[in-house]
Amino acid sequence: MNKKSYYGAFGGQYVAESLMNTLKELDDAFEKYTKDEEFLKEVDYYLKQYVGRETPLYFASRLSEAYGTKIYLKREDLNHTGAHKINNVIGQILLAKRMGKTKVIAETGAGQHGVATATGAALFNMECTVYMGAEDMKRQSLNVMRMEMLGAKVVPVTSGSNTLKDATNEAIRTWAKTAEDTFYVIGSAVGPYPYPKMVKYFQSVISKEAKKQILEQEGRLPDVVMACVGGGSNSIGMFADFIEEKDVKLIGVEAAGKGIETGEHASAMALGEPGVLHGMRSYLLQDEDGNVQLAHSISAGLDYPGVGPEHAYLKDSGRAEYVAIKDDEAMDALMELCKLEGIIPAIESAHAVAYAKKQAKKMKPDDIMVVCLSGRGDKDVNTIADYLAGKGYLN
Amino acid sequence: MNRIEEKLAQLKEQNKKAFITYMTAGMPDFDKMQEIIRTQEQAGTDIIELGIPFSDPVADGPVIQDASYHAILKGVNLKKVLEAMKKLRSAKIEIPIVFMMYYNTILHYGVEAFVDACIESGVDGLIIPDLPLEEQDEIKEFLQKENAPILIQLVSPVSKDRIPEILKDARGFVYCVSSMGVTGQEATFHKSVIDYLGSVKEVSKIPVMMGFGIRTAEDVAPMKDIIDGAIVGSHFIRLMEENDYDLQKIGTYCGTFKKELNQ
Repeated sequence: MNKKSYYGAFGGQYVAESLMNTLKELDDAFEKYTKDEEFLKEVDYYLKQYVGRETPLYFASRLSEAYGTKIYLKREDLNHTGAHKINNVIGQILLAKRMGKTKVIAETGAGQHGVATATGAALFNMECTVYMGAEDMKRQSLNVMRMEMLGAKVVPVTSGSNTLKDATNEAIRTWAKTAEDTFYVIGSAVGPYPYPKMVKYFQSVISKEAKKQILEQEGRLPDVVMACVGGGSNSIGMFADFIEEKDVKLIGVEAAGKGIETGEHASAMALGEPGVLHGMRSYLLQDEDGNVQLAHSISAGLDYPGVGPEHAYLKDSGRAEYVAIKDDEAMDALMELCKLEGIIPAIESAHAVAYAKKQAKKMKPDDIMVVCLSGRGDKDVNTIADYLAGKGYLN
Repeated sequence: MNRIEEKLAQLKEQNKKAFITYMTAGMPDFDKMQEIIRTQEQAGTDIIELGIPFSDPVADGPVIQDASYHAILKGVNLKKVLEAMKKLRSAKIEIPIVFMMYYNTILHYGVEAFVDACIESGVDGLIIPDLPLEEQDEIKEFLQKENAPILIQLVSPVSKDRIPEILKDARGFVYCVSSMGVTGQEATFHKSVIDYLGSVKEVSKIPVMMGFGIRTAEDVAPMKDIIDGAIVGSHFIRLMEENDYDLQKIGTYCGTFKKELNQ
């Protein structure tokens, strides 16, 4: 066992033998270039000039008043392409360039990571192929168009359940055949080592900035840091620089879908048992035969049956707490944030806002909570419209 | 002695090459599966790989993915396959059988309980394509048990410097991936496949089998002097499906392949 690829009992490299040397090559390159001043300067340059960092840490005064504690929003929704996904894509594609790769592939569920990867590929002149479940392509046709406008080829995946996990399987299969000239850009904090480490590294810019910003604005660290968790990329980025600050409570918010008890949810940590999927050992939703169970969430970005291995470790070690928010709770919070702050959040991020409301009840008015607003909700207007029509909200 | 090692020792003595097939367990049903296995045993197939269906078969191509998916819809699971194994062993079917399965299925069952169940039901070997050398310690601890199945090691053309370490304690046979990637590719073999097989053969103390992408004995003719046997997966599944699992056709295919492989 290669200890360094593990977070406690989680992580590892559960992949075909034919990918083991590829992963080693990737890890070596990552270790080399993340110590290379030129490389780091280039990443910083694009994060600043192209993505638009740093993003504000915004004191949401009306939300704070309504919820009864001080709430700061880390505005990842203001990034180019509308979410935190681009932070990691810039890093991984620049690394791919350094490694001499000419093509990138990616998987996508709702299309956000696909759009981010297609964006990065256009920027750095790489050939880009995105694997997407055939069902998801129908539901997210606008994102398919975006990717195509950006020059990417979108390949429909029709195996298994036709969703994100199957698109991931297909990307892994393709990668195993083409690794010589192709870089696989994984968008979440999942996959075989070194991916969880890489994604955390490139997303940790979120917490580095937030820590500095909260010290500037409040002169002290927050009491609570919170983020939504699907695979766990924005949350691990939001947690990263606070993990060693033992007085800061870390809370990850999974999707409870229609309710944990209904079985239609995406909360790998609430009910999942440790398992192996997509090259990693972590908590995983599975049926009585050990087949992977489909996740459910109104938010496509949280609709994943597994979770990044470091989150599994943070849960088991007690360093972070993981909770779950139902579809309707998230939608209520989404509407509330629209009206109170003039911000339309992604449905994913609204899960964190919904739990912020619950958590605030346990906090004092002068306590401080930082919530990662991982993305904006423009992509979700169709889903929101359908939901509201069903609920009769706006009538 | 383990059935795989016994069979391979026999073949070596007779100076013959092994013919190995892959089939998805429980297809089209368990009774028919037993008949297919018996037919193959009589026709000359030396070892059978039995695929345990899994929801996310990342190392398989479309044909086996599809078979796996349909098997799951039919309710095939590890418990039922283990029962079917017991049944066919008590029906005096002695052909060596290797389970090809993904690690999550084993983890979910419980690693030690799984190894015990294999011993009890007469499983001779395991191929776990998502369990590279670095992740094998956990299961190897239990594979020390008497009559435990052999963990078959896989190597690929890109394994290169890893090959000696992988083969150090390998038993049974070594499974060579012949075109980079997954099963079901056309027979456009990796450009340096002959060199590669030769490099494996050089280090290997056990028989070297070539898999992935083979349809007929002719496909492996250029490598015949190097390898000790051939494995047919996707093509065999497709052949069975297209012929509605006709036992005679299955028998003829296996018999012909085995004969031509040894001409």
